[in-house]
Amino acid sequence: MQADPSDLIQRAQQGDQAAFEALYRAHVGRVYALCLRLTADAVRAEELTQDAFVRAWERLASFRGESAFSSWLYRLTVNVVFLSQRAGRRRALRVFTTDDPAALERPADGSGMAGAQLDLERAIAALPPGAREVFVLHDVEGYRHHEIAGLTGIAVGTSKAQLFRARRLLREALSR
Amino acid sequence: MMCSEREAQLNEYVDGTLAAEARALVETHLAGCAGCRAAVAELRSLVDGARGLPRAIEPASELWTGIAGRIGKGERGKGKRWWRGALAAAAALIIGFAVYRLLPSSAVFHGPEVDGWAAAQIDYARATDELAGALALERDWLEPATVALLERNLGVIDAALRESRDALTRDPGNVELRALFAAAARQKVELLRWATRAAT
Repeated sequence: MQADPSDLIQRAQQGDQAAFEALYRAHVGRVYALCLRLTADAVRAEELTQDAFVRAWERLASFRGESAFSSWLYRLTVNVVFLSQRAGRRRALRVFTTDDPAALERPADGSGMAGAQLDLERAIAALPPGAREVFVLHDVEGYRHHEIAGLTGIAVGTSKAQLFRARRLLREALSR
Repeated sequence: MMCSEREAQLNEYVDGTLAAEARALVETHLAGCAGCRAAVAELRSLVDGARGLPRAIEPASELWTGIAGRIGKGERGKGKRWWRGALAAAAALIIGFAVYRLLPSSAVFHGPEVDGWAAAQIDYARATDELAGALALERDWLEPATVALLERNLGVIDAALRESRDALTRDPGNVELRALFAAAARQKVELLRWATRAAT
């Protein structure tokens, strides 16, 4: 994981937008990937990515360096996504698996995504929202069930049930 | 085909979260069940695949310009906070209605209204769930000491609610018990509203 020079963070905390832009450049791919996988909606993911960085700017003063800046930022991003969903901004899903597969063919390293990975991304995007969110947080992002419960407000047991359901649906989808 | 009753166990086995004894039992089962062995192999492949996905995907659009415009204007999220105020107001309205239904509608109490009581319980649960859910998402922004105090106070109120609810189960038409429950419910929603405001 890329380390953030502490002076960049300090300068951004003091209101230096150029320093904040450097932090944005370093992390936008990861933040966008998280939003994209959680929402399965490329347009919505771009909006949420912007919201997450604006929120990060507002909250920078509360970052005390107790965790890596990246961990703080990704956690904040998950909060932004779930707060948005809780707000009930219901929009017609523009599921990129069918409408915009190119959205998943732009990994940051430019190497392109293997066919099996693209199949998996598409299958994840087609999951029901609750199962998809837990799968992305647990199996892709590496959060544990108690952390997911804290982030999303669901019970640990619900998190496990959604994960197992997601894996079952994915196995079925990928075996077709 | 996996033995369906073992789905949770096999997932936990793959995640490495089973205790040693349970893990040994699963391994014994796997030794004699080809379907579950295949399922475990598939689950492992799936989990490995998920971990191997690209960590970053570049957005198709340049997003910085929009972000710079918003932070340059000194946006402090006021526009984004409307829903939290709306949520708190809606929850307060629901809880207010629930409390109203719990109390006698006039000086003359017409006796037990079990249907109204059940409906009020649902209203109350919905309001507090919404506020508690919003708070769960935002609690990281509260000071640890505030979170600790909040949890202590919520614990006290929840205990009062439980006692009132238990007593009302035994005596559903008791006006004083309804008033006690209503008071505790009102306290809880006020505390949650305060906490969601403080966190945002």
